[in-house]
Amino acid sequence: DDEITLLTGGPKFVKCSEDDDFMTAFDKMMIDNIQARNHESLKVPQLDIAVPMHLKDKNKKAACSNFLETQEEPKENKSIDFVLMTRRGNKQQFTNLNVPISAEFAAKYKEREHAEKME
Amino acid sequence: EEEEEEQFYMKDLPKHACSYCGIHDPACVVLCNSTKKWFCNGRGNTSGSHIINHLVRAKAKEVTLHKDGPLGETVLECYNCGCRNVFLLGFIPAKADSVVVLLCRQPCATLTNLKDMNWDPSQWQPLIQDRQFLAWLVKVPSDQEQMRGRQISAQQINKLEELWKDNPDATLEDLEKPGVDEEPQQVLLRYDDAYQYQNIFGPLVKLEADYDKKLKESQTQDNIVVRWDVGLNKKRITYFHLPKANEEMKLMHGDELRIRYMGELHKPWSGVGHVIKIPDNHSDEVAIELKSNAGVPTDCTHNFVVDFVWKSTSFDRMQAALKTFAVDETSVWGYIYHKLLGHEVEDVVIKCQLPKRFSALSLPELNHSQVYAVKTVLQRPLSLIQGPPGTGKTVTSATVVYHLAKQNSGQVLVCAPSNIAVDQLTEKIHRTGLKVVRLCAKSREAIESPVSFLSLHNQIRNIESVPELQKLQQLKDETGELSSADEKRYRSLKKQCEKELLQHADVICCTCVGAGDPRLGKMQFRSVLIDESTQATEPECMIPVILGCRQLILVGDHCQLGPVVMCKKAARAGLSQSLFERLVVLGIRPIRLQVQYRMHPALSAFPSNIFYEGSLQNGVAPADRTRKNLDIPWPQADKPMFFYTTSGQEEISSSGTSYLNRTEAVNVEKIATRFLRSSIKPEQIGIITPYEGQRAYIVQYMQYSGSLNKKLYQEIEVASVDAFQGREKDFIILSCVRSNEHQGIGFLNDPRRLNVALTRAKYGIIIVGNPKVLSKQPLWNHLLTYYKEQKCLVEGPLNNLKESLIQFSKPRKLVN
Ligand SMILES: [Zn+2]
Ligand SMILES: [Zn+2]
Ligand SMILES: [Zn+2]
Repeated sequence: DDEITLLTGGPKFVKCSEDDDFMTAFDKMMIDNIQARNHESLKVPQLDIAVPMHLKDKNKKAACSNFLETQEEPKENKSIDFVLMTRRGNKQQFTNLNVPISAEFAAKYKEREHAEKME
Repeated sequence: EEEEEEQFYMKDLPKHACSYCGIHDPACVVLCNSTKKWFCNGRGNTSGSHIINHLVRAKAKEVTLHKDGPLGETVLECYNCGCRNVFLLGFIPAKADSVVVLLCRQPCATLTNLKDMNWDPSQWQPLIQDRQFLAWLVKVPSDQEQMRGRQISAQQINKLEELWKDNPDATLEDLEKPGVDEEPQQVLLRYDDAYQYQNIFGPLVKLEADYDKKLKESQTQDNIVVRWDVGLNKKRITYFHLPKANEEMKLMHGDELRIRYMGELHKPWSGVGHVIKIPDNHSDEVAIELKSNAGVPTDCTHNFVVDFVWKSTSFDRMQAALKTFAVDETSVWGYIYHKLLGHEVEDVVIKCQLPKRFSALSLPELNHSQVYAVKTVLQRPLSLIQGPPGTGKTVTSATVVYHLAKQNSGQVLVCAPSNIAVDQLTEKIHRTGLKVVRLCAKSREAIESPVSFLSLHNQIRNIESVPELQKLQQLKDETGELSSADEKRYRSLKKQCEKELLQHADVICCTCVGAGDPRLGKMQFRSVLIDESTQATEPECMIPVILGCRQLILVGDHCQLGPVVMCKKAARAGLSQSLFERLVVLGIRPIRLQVQYRMHPALSAFPSNIFYEGSLQNGVAPADRTRKNLDIPWPQADKPMFFYTTSGQEEISSSGTSYLNRTEAVNVEKIATRFLRSSIKPEQIGIITPYEGQRAYIVQYMQYSGSLNKKLYQEIEVASVDAFQGREKDFIILSCVRSNEHQGIGFLNDPRRLNVALTRAKYGIIIVGNPKVLSKQPLWNHLLTYYKEQKCLVEGPLNNLKESLIQFSKPRKLVN
């Protein structure tokens, strides 16, 4: 019985010059940052990122079962368990990441899963 | 014991709360690494989330997630190059596996061998999308959460960011602080959020506190002569007379005074005590009970100085309540939160088992409007009950509390602004058989009341299950003081017992300010009823409300007197408007009790028509309210009322701050004497006069010039309208005082005050005043016209009253 419904709904966007300025500043910051990177002659390490074997098997199962369980739920609630791979010094770290199907790469992943199953 | 109080206050937002809106769900917030401030991932009313708004304005690029968020202490950096610029970072998924890494879009995500290694750069997904962090990286607070937070505008964000450049610790409040001499901000009808609410009420409470402090501290009086006594509890009592007593001082039971010895017969001494007696009709003496008996110079009687000790407690508690309301989302349920702020929320019905019988055991049977009120209130999370004079407000409140307690949804907290009102309600609730604890301020423990036996400190004394506590208590009572080890043990035992008693009570009763007592600190009350709520300021009402309220019942009558606010600045800004009143203006219809059981029907007609749209019904018949054999010349036999024309001069009282009217006083005495001669007991008579000067004059005049025994006149209560609110007398004599052609009629201008004055009497009312002057005011014009129509407007000597022939202009239509 905790449910309450605000008749005004959620927060309403207020258009104002300060907000317009913010949007302009955001775009400028984005562009500046990218251009700065382009002009810097960065020396980055040789790319070498492999998906560890143990993740390949384990996670596929997890993702499948997750998908099956949530099949009944409305589409927007569907999500897939991904693993985010990060690095602390030379050590790899893995963190579970729940990605909604609305993210394009998650949708793609699911399609592929589905296709594989059909085969 | 008072130190305990101080450490107890002031909830703060956690460090990781959004510096804009206060949201602090760890899953929703991000730390800006360069400014070390936290922001949420909600947009509020802007086009970017708060964290993005900040990063752009502060030109910052790196952030840290909250360790309790979904990704824990994950560092957001490019897997390959370690870049931490969030504007450049994005996810790249593996081609075939459910694995992602973070890579910067330049250059790492564009390196050509990426594709060869089973990563899919075409699926690069930036961390920031649509000016917000991806919701699955940093949760977006729900609409509900965002509406519960501070509503900050883009303009305010800009100003705040500017402010931070000079002072990184600045807050939004700093933006809104009025200058020293500026008028404070007016109260509003609706508030964006509880922060705005706090920002407006906080300064008003401060103004009132400063005013009160100044007033108290200016009251030091010297050359005081005292006499000493010992109370039943072995504590020292000092009696003295304060020569410079005045209206503003308003000395009350429980106030703290300091008394100092300044003579040469004893070494310097000073002691603090609580007022246990104030000047009354019997004696002008004040008595205080000293806190400590140590070193009291009881052999000295002259050369003392008395200071008022100002206490910030009540104001601190209001400020703490305002803050808790703002920062702690568990302090009140969302529905109540939004309703109090004037937001529109879909109605909620409380699922409850309605009782078969609404009247509570041992309380009077309820009438239909009372049953309707009880029934409705039980099913609503927020209700207002309006109880016009004599309509059984207290019985209705007690019945509501009875059923709430029987619903099994936890303890009920019952409050009122004044101790008298709390005591009255406590007594009624106790009669229903519920377990009631009356929590008193420690400074008032020595003051007797009809419900003393229900007070926590007395229940502790009578607790038999802890013999050790009883033994220590006995020792303390006998000797006055305990050794420090015993005292320590005594306190800890007492604290433990207090806690138990409080936790096992069905109902806890205290004043609104009392609800801020640290002894209730960790308790939660889903159901809160505030009686006489129209006499409390909003911040005062909030003290009981923020203890976890889910069902709030405000009882009162906004057509009677409102809260007393001493500081004119604060009053003008709206502090004197009660929460009840504001909710009425917001469109919450109060449930009105409609049957009055106090007044003779002839007395209720005018107030009913003018103040209650004619809705008051009479629960008593004329015969129930008629006293026979009275030596009072009622102009109409069936109407125990008249307006007695007196055209005496008003004058300034000797104190220079008030008014008196000798002719009126003479007439008042004559009428009072007639009542007394007709064997009406003095306690059944009340004399109301709006001016302190006239009050003092009438008291004195009756005692020295009245033809009967002095003692009889002493027992007649003479007081202001305000002092009579909430009470009744059989007969009321109202002395209006003002009688000049040019100035206004002062106090009598307030319709709510007139309503209270007219509705105190059960059997009869006599108004003494100058109709010519009073009729200039529209409301009084109505009243006088009414009395004239009823043939109750009279003049001449009391034993030969004649109908007055004075003509009034036609009354104007009143607009509320
Ligand atoms: Zn925020
Ligand atoms: Zn990189
Ligand atoms: Zn709201």
